[in-house]
Amino acid sequence: MYRYDEFDAAFVSERVQQFSDQVRRRIAGELTEDQFRPLRLMNGLYLQLHAYMLRIAIPYGTLAARQLRMLAHVARTYDRGYGHFTTRQNMQFHWPKLRDVPAILADLASVEMHSIQTSGNCVRNVTVDQFAGAAADEIIDPRPVAEIIRQWSSLHPEFIYLPRKFKIAMTGAPNDRAAVKFHDIGLMAQTNGSGEVGWAVYVGGGLGRTPMVAKLINGFVPHEHLLAYLEAILRVYNRYGRRDNKFKARIKILVHEEGLENIKGQVEEEFAQMRGGILTLPEEELERINAYFALPAYEDHGVVNIDIGREKILDPAYGRFLENNTFPHARQGYTSITVSLKPIGGVPGDITADQMDAVAELAEAYSFSEIRVTHEQNVVLPHVALTDLRAVYDGLVEAGLADGNVGEITDMITCPGLDYCALANARSIPIAQDIAHRFAAPERSREIGKLKIKISGCINACGHHHVGHIGILGVEKKGTELYQITVGGDGTEDAAVGRILGPGFVAADVPDAIEKLVDAYIEKRESPDETFIAAYRRLGDAPFKEALYGNG
Amino acid sequence: MSAASPMVAAEPRHDKLRQLGIVALNGMYGEMDAEGVLRQAVEELLAGDIAMVSSFGADSAVLLHLVSKVDPSLPVYFLETGKHFPETLDYVETLKTRLGLCNVVTLRPDPSDLAKFDPDGTLWETDPDSCCHIRKTEPLENVLAGFGGWVTGRKRFQTAERGVLPHFELTSDDRIKVNPLAYFSNADIEAYKAEHDLPQHPLYGEGYKSIGCAPCTSAVAEGEDPRAGRWRGLNKKECGIHFDFNGSIAKPVSQSQLTLFRDGEFRTDPWRGWSEGDVASEARYTHVPVSVFLEQREAFLASSHPIGLQVDPGDRVEDIAGDLARFSSIAINFPAFVDGRGYSSARLLRERYGYEGELRAVGDVLTDQIPFMRRCGINALVVTSAATRKALEADALAEVRLYYQPVGTAREIPVGTRPFLRRNARP
Repeated sequence: MYRYDEFDAAFVSERVQQFSDQVRRRIAGELTEDQFRPLRLMNGLYLQLHAYMLRIAIPYGTLAARQLRMLAHVARTYDRGYGHFTTRQNMQFHWPKLRDVPAILADLASVEMHSIQTSGNCVRNVTVDQFAGAAADEIIDPRPVAEIIRQWSSLHPEFIYLPRKFKIAMTGAPNDRAAVKFHDIGLMAQTNGSGEVGWAVYVGGGLGRTPMVAKLINGFVPHEHLLAYLEAILRVYNRYGRRDNKFKARIKILVHEEGLENIKGQVEEEFAQMRGGILTLPEEELERINAYFALPAYEDHGVVNIDIGREKILDPAYGRFLENNTFPHARQGYTSITVSLKPIGGVPGDITADQMDAVAELAEAYSFSEIRVTHEQNVVLPHVALTDLRAVYDGLVEAGLADGNVGEITDMITCPGLDYCALANARSIPIAQDIAHRFAAPERSREIGKLKIKISGCINACGHHHVGHIGILGVEKKGTELYQITVGGDGTEDAAVGRILGPGFVAADVPDAIEKLVDAYIEKRESPDETFIAAYRRLGDAPFKEALYGNG
Repeated sequence: MSAASPMVAAEPRHDKLRQLGIVALNGMYGEMDAEGVLRQAVEELLAGDIAMVSSFGADSAVLLHLVSKVDPSLPVYFLETGKHFPETLDYVETLKTRLGLCNVVTLRPDPSDLAKFDPDGTLWETDPDSCCHIRKTEPLENVLAGFGGWVTGRKRFQTAERGVLPHFELTSDDRIKVNPLAYFSNADIEAYKAEHDLPQHPLYGEGYKSIGCAPCTSAVAEGEDPRAGRWRGLNKKECGIHFDFNGSIAKPVSQSQLTLFRDGEFRTDPWRGWSEGDVASEARYTHVPVSVFLEQREAFLASSHPIGLQVDPGDRVEDIAGDLARFSSIAINFPAFVDGRGYSSARLLRERYGYEGELRAVGDVLTDQIPFMRRCGINALVVTSAATRKALEADALAEVRLYYQPVGTAREIPVGTRPFLRRNARP
């Protein structure tokens, strides 16, 4: 994976010094909260309901074991012994003390990590497919280009005060696991007629209060021109994006209001001016960065057969883990393991310091020291030899991380909600916990199959509820928390926004409502192979609406 | 600060009796008794130790007439700046002859100063304070030391700063400044000229009521302040030679009040914003909003005065790209620091349209944004925040001096950018 050179290290260290000075001025009273606010936000430091929250960037969700160990150290030393993985592949600490933040950032800098641009109206951390560089279905590993975009966008002087935040997601595979069509810019690797690999560029996607599926603005941009193309989009957005209303300031609104063709025209005009200029990426530079992402030194294990059916009989929990938590690897004899952070009754995305150390140790022993973070709030050991599977599983059991529920109904995305977040209208974590308890039995979960539930505690949609097969949105109505339920959302290449079927439910009734939807699906599906989302696409709203609200 | 230096650097040596004497003198002479004031000064108070400076401007004739009556051989210094209207030079000769003045001394700027600071004669355009300094203040300083007192033609009504001007002033370097016309109103001047049939300055009839050097003087409208035509459009009222006299007169703008930061220091700012009622053909040293410029483009292009442009968020710099050569300064407005549109405007002006003049940030200019502004090509800042001023003065901006992405033209030397960018950024 990418390693800092002297320049990167000096850059982050200067930034840490700069922010340390700002924190000192704040503590000394030289800066008011109003003056400090934009500065801390540029460094990922939020003020939440109970405390500051520090968001650490995990560029394109790739972590080295030593970095995860440092996150464990930070959690243990400065926080309450745990951290929280977000849907942006970042980690959040919810209880740091302001006076400790400079020390935290210095510790992170020592392992090439930082919190730059994890908040504020700038280009945020680039997210990618968590199986990048490992997935069997991949055209190209998107991470080298993601790293180049990270560098280009870091403290970019023109785009540091955009109308609103700006999120870029990439996938190197045709099966989109990074929800690229729900980002301000989504990049999907493409092969053109001459066999060259480049990028299809989607623009104007997003969730929040106005969910939009991104639109294709350019079907093929070669690597060498990608930065110029991105700069052209950012410039058009910076100049013409709405600034009069925070809720209409994302690029999705600009694209929606002005029309794709109009925006495309402006972007292409700008691109024509920039194309071939200073942002042209030379082949050598791409190769230089590519070298950091060279394939690990895989060993030849020959053909390894694992009989999942047999394992399921011998050890049902392990069998279930094999069935759900492994992902086809590009290299024969290897697999990618998803470590579920969704234990029944736990907080989705939370991980203790000890668990971080355990995962780091397993990564060192069995996955070339590499770890990934998924936008679904799990972590991945990307390169595990099939021969080591059982050892890894046993290690995870010991760490309390062996839940075999990945992709199933209890593998929910959940925002922190009203338990932590100052923006939230409603709690989300307790809702997720109630649902998880309801569907805790593995047999029941398996019967339901692949089903994504996503929960947000407010309309900002950090829990991606719009793209949940079942989405749950917490709202506040007349002093009580109500939960709106949507059906049919999809964050993949078949992007769709879920539909609201009727009035919301009070918290206590949410698990029943979910159960009704699930029962309706099981009753109507053509076979156990037809997933919830496939059945919904075939059947439409009606049976689900009826399940929730009756015939009335 | 390079301009408007105090005339005298000596420490004040005030003598209480002398100060009382000045108070008494001011009490002794009535409001209209200009000739008496002058006679007292020239014959009694400062006999042989007093001189005067005259601009030979629109109303210089009155005081020169008084001088000719009291003592035609009183030294009269004329600052030949080299920038006068030819009519003014003619007028010097007219008045000398007519009034019988026999001791008019012409002072010229030091040629080495001109060669050094104003080789092409356009300093007035970029830095009028410095222009006044080398053409007026410096030459005068050389003769000032030789006299204990000066006669001036200043009047209370001329500028707001002179509203309390007395007949006799003790200057901070212990000289006496005599202002015989201090209490004259504009009407008194006109009456005196008529009564004595004094020749008018040839430009007076053309609307010039207060006349200095040609480039910095324009005509004034009926009813307008007569000095409104001096340094029109600039926040400048005095040329520097009247500064620092006994506290009753305008003081030089102190460093702390300067808001323009450029080339490492706070400096005087000749520019102002466009105001309602400004006239395109007469605007100078004014940042004209893009919309106003486009509406009256022909008038602005026809005028020969230096003008600037104000680019607000939402303005399309493409619309004025063809006229950039017309602007001596462009102000990018950041009404709130979170409005980042100005960064794009700045880069487009510099990088795409090749604008090389002053590009200044105005509005909500704060320390943490300045490094980004500079990278986008902004080379001057108008700063009102005290904290930002402090940071600039201490050269202690919160800044990351390394950067990843190339912006700007080849002029930006990337300290340690990516290898491919480093290579391309070399000219």
